[in-house]
Amino acid sequence: MERRLQQLFFALSLLALALILAAAWQANTPSWKTYQRNFLQLEAQEEPNAITKAAVLATPPEIHQVLLPGLQRVDRCTTCHLGVEDPTMKNAPEPFRYHENLGPHIPSKFGCTICHGGQGLATDKESAHGKVDFWPNPLLSKDYIRASCGRCHKEGEVPGVPELTAGHRLFETQGCRGCHKLDGVGGSIGPDLTGEGANRRAPEWLEAHFLAPNAVSAGSAMPNFHFTKDQARDLTYYMLSLTNEEMGSYFSSLRLIPSPEYGRQLFVEKNCISCHAVGGVGAKTAPDLLGVTKRHSIEWLDEQLVNPELVYPGSAMPEYDLETNARKALVAYMSSATPEDAQAVLSRRARAMTTEEIAIEAGKQNFSRFGCVGCHGTELQGGVANPNAQGGEVPSLLHVSDDYTKDEVIAIIRNGRVPPLDNTAGPTPPLYMPSWKNVLSDEDINRIADYLWSKQQKAKDAW
Amino acid sequence: MNLIREIWQSIVRRDPLSTDKGKSELVFLNVWLHIHPAKVKKENMKFRHTFYLGFITFFLFLILLTTGIALMVYYRPYPAQAYQDMKDLQFAVFMGTFLRNMHRWAAHGMVICVFLHMCRVFYTGSYKKPRQFNWVIGVLLLLLTLSLSFTGYLLPWDQLAYWAITVGTNIGSYAPLIGGQLRELLLGGHSVGEGALIRFYVLHVAVLPAAMILLTIVHFWRVRKDGGLSRPVWKLKGKKEELVVIGAPAVAVPMQASATSKDKTYGLMEVVSGKPIFETVTPEEEEDTVFSYPYAFVREAVVLMATVTTIMTMSLFLNAPLEELANPAKTPNPAKAPWYFLGLQELVSHSAFLGGVVAPALMVLALLAIPYLDRNPSRRPGDRKLILWLFTIFVVANLALIIVGTFFRGPGWALVPPWVHVVGGAE
Repeated sequence: MERRLQQLFFALSLLALALILAAAWQANTPSWKTYQRNFLQLEAQEEPNAITKAAVLATPPEIHQVLLPGLQRVDRCTTCHLGVEDPTMKNAPEPFRYHENLGPHIPSKFGCTICHGGQGLATDKESAHGKVDFWPNPLLSKDYIRASCGRCHKEGEVPGVPELTAGHRLFETQGCRGCHKLDGVGGSIGPDLTGEGANRRAPEWLEAHFLAPNAVSAGSAMPNFHFTKDQARDLTYYMLSLTNEEMGSYFSSLRLIPSPEYGRQLFVEKNCISCHAVGGVGAKTAPDLLGVTKRHSIEWLDEQLVNPELVYPGSAMPEYDLETNARKALVAYMSSATPEDAQAVLSRRARAMTTEEIAIEAGKQNFSRFGCVGCHGTELQGGVANPNAQGGEVPSLLHVSDDYTKDEVIAIIRNGRVPPLDNTAGPTPPLYMPSWKNVLSDEDINRIADYLWSKQQKAKDAW
Repeated sequence: MNLIREIWQSIVRRDPLSTDKGKSELVFLNVWLHIHPAKVKKENMKFRHTFYLGFITFFLFLILLTTGIALMVYYRPYPAQAYQDMKDLQFAVFMGTFLRNMHRWAAHGMVICVFLHMCRVFYTGSYKKPRQFNWVIGVLLLLLTLSLSFTGYLLPWDQLAYWAITVGTNIGSYAPLIGGQLRELLLGGHSVGEGALIRFYVLHVAVLPAAMILLTIVHFWRVRKDGGLSRPVWKLKGKKEELVVIGAPAVAVPMQASATSKDKTYGLMEVVSGKPIFETVTPEEEEDTVFSYPYAFVREAVVLMATVTTIMTMSLFLNAPLEELANPAKTPNPAKAPWYFLGLQELVSHSAFLGGVVAPALMVLALLAIPYLDRNPSRRPGDRKLILWLFTIFVVANLALIIVGTFFRGPGWALVPPWVHVVGGAE
């Protein structure tokens, strides 16, 4: 008996070990690793020399994911769909094929599930495609995928998806709101349709429901509107596009899309109205922007935003260092800007800027663009450590007018300066003021001085 | 080599295990093992006397502690994140599914085993003098087990969790006067939300396990002090009914230091008067006793490994459920409490106050009071027919209610046999 029990104990211990190993083996051989291996082999085929081939094949397996924090989404689709952004994978077999016709919607920025549905977090095919229990959003079939455009592109016509516009129009004209609520407006006889697209009822179900409500939902109170097949499809598209998630505003907040909204944000942010006007509303210092997109080509406007002086020598417009998307967005806004909207932008400001303020603003732009903020701080506070310089740090510029005249400061900027030493026997301080005269024009330097002096005034007031 | 020997001897101070002294010292020089007696009665260790249910429960608790700590590494107690973390465990964490499965199945197993353990103790009359108070501790441990399971139920934050806790806490709110406030205190709000999640989390990972560990220590200590594992003494041939005297005899004889040994230093145990409170080994029982090492330990080790392998096997093949993300706007029909509370929910469906407040309160009070209400000193089943019948009815009624609630209740809490498929109502 005692011996038997000891044997039983060892047998059970071995079994436990075997079970742990089995679990580890199960965990270590997920299907996505097989897909990645196959993809690497596909890639290695293209490699001409043996060394790079081996290097490609040796790539360790890892989960790829696109994080969309604002939408609480994590898309791991690209763990298996490895070629979606690689044009050389145009003819590769699925799941590696290149995704054509994406336009700006690159998967690494937008993820996949916002259009396709499915379970972004999952890493096996069945779960990821959402065709499992307890996942309400399975993959949307090809026939309906374009409906997803409407989840971000809510206003106006979406090019290539007339169904959405038609569906929207039907919804608003056929009295659907009599029974259904959408975004808080409507009756309560039928279900609330806000977020209906997120419920992702099978599109086929929706379409059949529009053709004959009772056929798929017995006892449904919805009357038969005798929609045509096309109308049923339009409405289905529209339903699929309805979502609670603020996808459009999330992606425009990321500023991935050169949308007019983004352009307007920039228009406000950069204070364009302080020089420009739209249809007479705004300042008169710079050209009126109403119809500017008709007077000039988009390329010309873009060029103007990159380098104002190149197009208009002597232009007072500061260089704003806008990235491509931002310039596109501004142009998009200019094409739709109205005097009314300019009034709205203006009303947030007390008054238009004076020429002096414009110079100060340009000086501030220069101060940050040429890196002065690196040592002197975004608020001119200084404080960056500079051992053995007097005070041990880069001086604050808030009180510079107490010690220097404006001309002296301009001279320092032009010629540079080695800071006075704390201890003359000590080492040279690592930081010094470089000479800017070969980098900045006199006008730029004058504007920086104007900017500094504008801040001096405030510092004294505060004192 | 000397250094190695020195290190070994600094850790292990006992004599070799081949000697009786070594076997004893293994137990009482070791802080973890000395909850055991150095010698056990063979009769006590028989499988069919206890089915080792207490051990199994304890081992399941150990599995829960270890897997639970590992799970805490991956878990953030905030609604959307919590659910996402469950998905991460399933899809991205190495062996995450296995880990969660083990925790889940061990938890269900513990609820079942703690209940079976209680039944065993009742049927063998082991709650009787001197073990009355340990029964009370046991009932508290049962309640703690249920609370741990209940608080853990919410943490995945899926539809199953959300609605089970909503229903479960609603049952609690039927208590008169304080019910509503009690629910609000537990949930940190009027409904299950992020406040409830963090409260349940704190209870689940800190407060309740701490209470559980403290009471478990008391429970084990009392098992030793109340006479060791309880055995069916009435079955033993030629043995008299087990009677353990606790405390001082009626006429206390003050202990005196023996005059013959003036320079002897006395331990406290020699000053305490009266009989020892633990079971003593009478000479005729001496031959039945064996050293705990290896007799008891090998048995415990077998039960431990059997428990671990069972849970592991289940975890390899059966996945813990995870439904859709919790959605307060979408009530499943029917919304059901965790299975061990479905008996209560079934009662509540008949009468909220009687079923939700009176019945469970009476049940708990009755369980706590059993050892003090049952005045019959005999542990022989033949002498306890009435109370055994009553307890059996209590157990069967509980099980029947749970089975009805689990399998026979469909949409709208209508009686629907499990083999009839109900098509979900029009949404």
